[in-house]
Amino acid sequence: MEITEHMLRTGSRGFRDDLARAIEDLRRSSQGLGLAWSLAWHDVVSRYRGSILGPFWITLSMAVMVLGIGFLYAELQNIPLATTLPFVALGIVFWGLISQTIIEGCESFVQASGMLSQTALPMLTFVWRTVLRNLAALLHHLVIVVAVIIGFGLWRTLNLPLALAGLALVLINISWMCLLTAIISARFRDIPQIVMSIMQFSMFMTPVFWQPGERVGLMDAVLTWNPFFHMLDAIRAPLMGLAPEASTFPVLIGMALIGWAVAFGLFTVTRRRIVHYL
Amino acid sequence: MSRGAKPPTAPPRPDQAFISVRGLTLRFPVYGYDAKSLKKHLARVAVGGQLDQARHGSTTVTAITGLDLELRAGDRLGLIGHNGSGKTTLLRALSGAYEPDEGQIEVRGKIAPLLDLSLGIDPTATGLENIRLRGRIAGLSARQVDEKMDEIAAFTGLGPFLAMPLKTYSSGMQARLAFAVATAVDADVLLRDEWIAVGDADFQKIAHQRLLGLVERAGILVLASHDLDLIRLYCNKVMRMDTGVGSEMVSVKALDELLARPSVR
Repeated sequence: MEITEHMLRTGSRGFRDDLARAIEDLRRSSQGLGLAWSLAWHDVVSRYRGSILGPFWITLSMAVMVLGIGFLYAELQNIPLATTLPFVALGIVFWGLISQTIIEGCESFVQASGMLSQTALPMLTFVWRTVLRNLAALLHHLVIVVAVIIGFGLWRTLNLPLALAGLALVLINISWMCLLTAIISARFRDIPQIVMSIMQFSMFMTPVFWQPGERVGLMDAVLTWNPFFHMLDAIRAPLMGLAPEASTFPVLIGMALIGWAVAFGLFTVTRRRIVHYL
Repeated sequence: MSRGAKPPTAPPRPDQAFISVRGLTLRFPVYGYDAKSLKKHLARVAVGGQLDQARHGSTTVTAITGLDLELRAGDRLGLIGHNGSGKTTLLRALSGAYEPDEGQIEVRGKIAPLLDLSLGIDPTATGLENIRLRGRIAGLSARQVDEKMDEIAAFTGLGPFLAMPLKTYSSGMQARLAFAVATAVDADVLLRDEWIAVGDADFQKIAHQRLLGLVERAGILVLASHDLDLIRLYCNKVMRMDTGVGSEMVSVKALDELLARPSVR
């Protein structure tokens, strides 16, 4: 029989001890990634139980939105459809990944309160669950991505390794955002509403639909200081055969390091208390 | 270790289950309520833990104060005490969900917390999916769940209904399923809150046998209950809790004397 040992001590041994246990939580949750994946897959399956198209319903509604907005913005901005449609399609798909993960991140711990209050499961498992669930959704939406890449001949110019590196960096970044919103929303229940507003506002401030024009004045500030622009740019530009902004990858790497340090620091300090927030 | 019958008080082998709790104190911060009004409200209530007003204006409930406990393989401890005396909190602390504010908890062995039968149960999923999900949460690998699937399915006695969503089940059927999965995990330390009566008379009988078997297999049982007959049936030791303070552990034979005391202190 498998013997697992638990050693739990008092929390008053200081920051070092808390940090060691936060790292232990990280290690155990990474080893148990299979469980996070099982939970995530179960979420996807149960959300669309009884529907014929299943998760492809979102893919379908996304495709409809891509077509509508693609045609509209091609007309509005006076840009040929062949440029606009792939731009909008990739924008909407990957924006969906970023914003859904952060919004659903708020529920990561709250939803798992039953499990957290009676088992010693690592807490980060539930953060991975949210990220993996959205990754599973992305796998469905890849239909749109592949259709656009083939339909508009992007496969001739795309830089797949760079796009995958961009995706990896984006996942690392949205993971810490997910952890951060999960902790804060467990403590303060107003946060999910605020996060949702921020994401909605950011969608309009980020070139998801609209093509960024010349980088002058306000436009330059909006693009330079918008983390979501860099996230989107790191995946979309290589897929469209364009070079990402020179600052995009350094910004994402810096953001990942600082963001994880902050989020993990908060996790270290609050970890013992999170179960009582719920 | 196979030669002859072991005396019941044999020293624990290093690979055997044990629980050691020293000076455990657990405090809950209570968030999101007006501390003053809560305090006013609770002042009139006789049950529950001790309430303190914390420095930051939020209310802190001290659920367990300075509790000591030593359990070895073969110990079956019954926890008694009125509502809010800290029994469930102690079980949750032993499961690893709550970490101590002071003192130390050491648990060796695979822990099976059976605190809530509905843990990880999804009413829209089918019976089989729920078995899978619950098994994964309990720490079984996907393969182990597959191996145990037939046994669990047979034990529920639900047959073809296992392919139906759980929401179509009667509450007795749901309890059968939850109970079957919850008890399918081989564990060294079994934590059980209230022996919930499940299912019809037939199932009660099978469930009872299964629990007895589980108690024998598990190194240690900790059972919190108000039902003294149940405590006498399953436990060999007993501890009384009162406003978060634990009495010393006594043999279950001394249960009546323990209850007759005005307070545990």
